[in-house]
Amino acid sequence: MRAVVARADDSDEFRKQQNFDRAVAEIVHLIPIPPETAEWFSEKDLNVGSKWTWRKMARNPAVLAISIAVVVIAGVSVFQVLSRLNDFPGSATARKLLTVAASTRPVMLDPVSTEAGTLSDLFFMKHGLEHYDVPAEFGDFRTIGCRVFEDEESRRIAQIWLAEKRIQLFLFPAERNPKTGAVLWFPGWRYVHQEGWAGAVTERSGVCFMAALRGSEKDLALYISNTTGQ
Amino acid sequence: MLGDSAKAQEVFQTTLREAALRAAQGELPREPFWLFRDARWRCLETVKEDLQPEALKLDEHDVAPHAASQIEKLDPAQLAVWISGAPDPQRTALALFYLDEFDYQEILDLAELKLNELSRFLAQGRQQLQAWLNAKQPQQGKV
Repeated sequence: MRAVVARADDSDEFRKQQNFDRAVAEIVHLIPIPPETAEWFSEKDLNVGSKWTWRKMARNPAVLAISIAVVVIAGVSVFQVLSRLNDFPGSATARKLLTVAASTRPVMLDPVSTEAGTLSDLFFMKHGLEHYDVPAEFGDFRTIGCRVFEDEESRRIAQIWLAEKRIQLFLFPAERNPKTGAVLWFPGWRYVHQEGWAGAVTERSGVCFMAALRGSEKDLALYISNTTGQ
Repeated sequence: MLGDSAKAQEVFQTTLREAALRAAQGELPREPFWLFRDARWRCLETVKEDLQPEALKLDEHDVAPHAASQIEKLDPAQLAVWISGAPDPQRTALALFYLDEFDYQEILDLAELKLNELSRFLAQGRQQLQAWLNAKQPQQGKV
């Protein structure tokens, strides 16, 4: 192909043809263009795009929709991160038990009128539950009733209803490391909230204790001595 | 393509108006040279409505060594009329080729021709133009 082109370049015929074409092209460019048409070919741009602005971009429905979606996703993510910040081993169970507390009626419990601290023996003797001890902070309050039930994961949970401000106490097995079986320990008292209920949770000897009441963290904090602090 | 500045003006303005409308509706094609292709079809449509020239077998002469000087003496408007008188697609091929703004591939694309067809139309066009030049300028043609 290159050889053919090179041979053609050298040929007289090809040179004549090139000169012919060049001359015609020059004349073609001299063909008069009507002035009405010529003015379209000025140096100015034929179609100047509308100026790009942040405001215009923000009003674009697609950009608006994406922005709203991003804000919602960011909000949910921040909410989840903040929720996780307050998480501790057993917090998920504690929240479920707050729901249980909200739906429990006194008639659902066995009537027991005694001091909450003495129920540890009952739980051990009657139900074989070890270390289901009510902490000293709540041990002196009078009880209305108590019961032991199993949750959906077949964990045995002790529930006590106090006369004091209709506080409910829960004792349930602490969360364990699924690989080693070791109790996931956490220090002091931790708070959980669910549907207008607040719970103060602590862990002792592999059992979690939660005091729950309808109200806020402040209402519970009154019962928890400062010496045990978070 | 039309050999008539008034018609060319009309086609030009119609093409641009249509392009502006499509741009406003965000329907501009992505393919290159669509505006030229559109203009070409409008030209062909316009020509269809005119009286059609009688199909004649034009004389064909070999390109002369002094062709460039013959062409220089030519009135550009006459050349435009001569090109516009050629049957399409030769007319499109000549118009696009001598506009000197498109490469071969672009002309093939715009005129919807194959390479051998384009080559034949251009070669024929040169020889027919040379014959016409010789007829217009007989003294020089005989030199």
